[in-house]
Amino acid sequence: MGYSDPSSSRDLLGNRTLFFIFICAFAVVTLLQQILYGRNYLKRYFEFYEGPFEYNSTKCLELRQDIIEVKVLSMVKQTELFDRWKSLQMCKWEMNVTEANLFSQRCQDVAMPLPFCSQHRKNTPLGTKLKYEVDTSGIFHINQEIFRMFQRSDMPYYRSQFKKCAVVGNGGILKNSRCGREIDSAISCNLPPISEKYFMDVGVKTDIVTVNPSIITERFHKLEKWRKPFYDVLQVYENASVLLPAFYNTRNTDVSIRVKYVLDDFESQQAVYYFHPQYLINVSRYWLGQGVRAKRISTGLILVTAALELCEEVHLFGFWAFPMNPSGIFITHHYYDNVKPRPGFHAMPSEIFNFLHMHSKGILQVHTGTCSCC
Amino acid sequence: MAAAGPVCKCPRTRLPVGGASALCVFVLCWLYIFPVYRLPDEKEVVQGVLLQQGKAWRSNQTAVTGFRKQLEDCCDPGQLFAMTKQNSPLGKNLWFDGEFLHSVTIDNATYSLFPQATPFQLPLKKCSVVGNGGILKKSGCGRQIDQADFVMRCNLPPLSSEYSKDVGSKTQLVTANPSIIEKRFQNLLWSRKTFVDSVKVYNHSYIYMPAFSMKTGTEPSLRVYYTLEDFGANQTVLFANPNFLRDIGKFWKSRGIHAKRLSTGLFLVSAALGLCEEVTIYGFWPFSVDLHGRFISHHYYDNVLPDSGFHAMPEEFLQLWFLHKNGVLRMQLEQCEAPLLQSSA
Repeated sequence: MGYSDPSSSRDLLGNRTLFFIFICAFAVVTLLQQILYGRNYLKRYFEFYEGPFEYNSTKCLELRQDIIEVKVLSMVKQTELFDRWKSLQMCKWEMNVTEANLFSQRCQDVAMPLPFCSQHRKNTPLGTKLKYEVDTSGIFHINQEIFRMFQRSDMPYYRSQFKKCAVVGNGGILKNSRCGREIDSAISCNLPPISEKYFMDVGVKTDIVTVNPSIITERFHKLEKWRKPFYDVLQVYENASVLLPAFYNTRNTDVSIRVKYVLDDFESQQAVYYFHPQYLINVSRYWLGQGVRAKRISTGLILVTAALELCEEVHLFGFWAFPMNPSGIFITHHYYDNVKPRPGFHAMPSEIFNFLHMHSKGILQVHTGTCSCC
Repeated sequence: MAAAGPVCKCPRTRLPVGGASALCVFVLCWLYIFPVYRLPDEKEVVQGVLLQQGKAWRSNQTAVTGFRKQLEDCCDPGQLFAMTKQNSPLGKNLWFDGEFLHSVTIDNATYSLFPQATPFQLPLKKCSVVGNGGILKKSGCGRQIDQADFVMRCNLPPLSSEYSKDVGSKTQLVTANPSIIEKRFQNLLWSRKTFVDSVKVYNHSYIYMPAFSMKTGTEPSLRVYYTLEDFGANQTVLFANPNFLRDIGKFWKSRGIHAKRLSTGLFLVSAALGLCEEVTIYGFWPFSVDLHGRFISHHYYDNVLPDSGFHAMPEEFLQLWFLHKNGVLRMQLEQCEAPLLQSSA
C-alpha cells in the first residue's frame, strides 16, 4: 500500500487536517491568554534574576510599594497578593529604623500607656477589682490567695531589651523550612510541640511561651484530671516563662490559675505571668484601628505587639494563615497537625496581611520561605 | 332532667374532707405520742453494754462461718468489694447507690482505672478495723492494731506520731469520702500537693473511695486517682462498687437499721467480715461517755459532731455489739495497755 500525499487527496478537510487546525487554534488562544492576562507570570520567567536585590534599589521600592498599595485584603485576588509577596522575596530586607520607631511611638501614644505588661504585685494590689476584657460584666476580685501567686515584680523584660527576637507562630509553613538555626531566641505561641521531629524547623530555644486556656481546656481537660502530661509538655521549654491571658474572659481564669498551681506542685522553676487585661484591651483596640476586624485578636498578634516593644528587630516565623504557601502549594494548618480552627473567631488572613504591610515598611521581617542555612 | 345535674354534683363536691383530715391528724398525734420506732437512747445502750461487759469474749467459729455465708449470699465481698475489670466490664450500666435514678455507664476512660481483679490475697488472716471514735484516745491500742495482717481505717484519719500509740501506724486500706476531698482539699481543683503529702502517712495502702455512690462524688474520686498517678505516689485508689454498697445496705436494713445510709465504718466492718478470718474492731463507740462515765470527744483527733439524721450510729453499734456477743467479731472498748505501763515502756 503506497503512501498518498494528504494534499492530493480528494478530501481536503479530512479528519486529520481538522484535528491539526484545532490543536493550532487552541495553542494560539492559550498563548494569547498567557500574554494578555498572565503578563506578570510570564515576566518572571523572562526576567533575569541575579541574586537578591539591595533593599533600596528602585526595583525593590517598586515591589514594596506594590504591597503597600493593597489597602484592604479584598482589593486583590489572593493569588495576586501571593505573587507580589513572592516577588518581594527577591529583595533583601532591612530594618527601617524611623518607621519602626514611628510604629512603637504610635503604639505607645494611641494604645499602650502600659509597658509590655503582666500582672504583678505592684500593679495589682490586694483588693483590686479586675475587669475582664471580653465579659464586661465580669469582675474579678484579687484576694489573698491569688495575690500570693502573682510574681513579686514585673517580668524581667523591658523595652528594647533584646537585639533580635524571633516570634514563632505555628503555621504549617514552618514545616520543612529548616529555620531552626535562625530561631535561636524565640517567643512561642500556644504551646507548640518542640520535639526531635520538628527541631530542625522550629529550633529549640524558647524564652516565652504563651498558652491559650482553650488549649488547656481541650487537650488537658481543664487540668481537672491528669496534670502530669501538661507538666511534661511545659518541661520541654525548660526555663521559658509561661504567659497566659488569664483575665481575658471569665472562663479562662480558673484554668490559668491552675497552671500556676501545677507548676508549684511539681516544684518547677518556670515563672507564670498573666497578661494585664488593660493591656489586652489596648492592643486589640489598636489593631481594630488598623483594620483587623475580628471577634478576638489572636495570641500571635498580641505577642508580636509585645515583641515589637521588647526587641529592636523582630522576625516572624510561621505566621502564615493561608491554606497554601506563596507558591500555591497547599500546606497544613499547623506545622505539627492539620486541625482547623473554629471559623469566625480570629481574622487570621487580615492579621497576616498587616504583617506583610509592616514587612514592606521595614518594621519587622516575615519569613515565609525556607531558610538557606545548614 | 335539667335539675338532675346540679343535684348529682352536690355530693361530689361535699366529699368527706373533714372526716379524712380529722383522721389524719389523729393518726399523726397518735404516732407522735406513741412512736412506732424510737432510736435507742445513749444511756440505755451504755448501761446495757456495761451489764454484758464482764464476760470474757470467745470466738465462735460456727457463728463466724454462718455470718460469712450470709454475707457471701447477699453481697459476695470477695468479688464485688471494689470495681474491677472483671466485675464491671466496659459498657456496663451502674446505678448509683446513694442517688435516686442516676446511673453511669463505664466508658473506656473509666474502665482503664480499674484493677484486673480484687487485689487482695483472699482470705485475709487477721484484720483490724479502726474507727475514729474518741474512745481510742489514750487507749494504747496501737501495738495491738499493728499486730494484725490487714489494717483498715476510715475517712483519712490523722496518723501523726502523737496518735500512733493509740491507733497504730500500719495501714493497708483507708477509706476516703468524696466530701472530705471537697472540704479539706478543695476538690483537688487547685493545689494538689497538700493532698499528696497528707496521704503519705498511709504508705503502700489502698485508698477506697465510694466514687459511684453520689453524683457529686464521682469527679473528686477520679481526681484522687489522677493526682496520685501524676505524683507517682505509693497509694493505689480502689473504687467502691455501688452494687456491693447497695447490697450491704439492704442486708443491714433487713436487720433493722433505720438510716438513710450506713456509715463508712459499718460498710468496712461488713467487708472485713467477708474478707478476713478474724476481725477485731477498735474505736467504734458513737457515744459521748465511755464505759466509766467519763466524757470523751467524738473523734480521737477532734470533737466535730456530724450532721444528725444521716447515720443511725447507736443502732449500728447495737448490731456490732450483737455480733461481738455472738463471737463473730471482737470489739475492743477497754484500754489495751494501761497508760502507766505505756509511759514506762
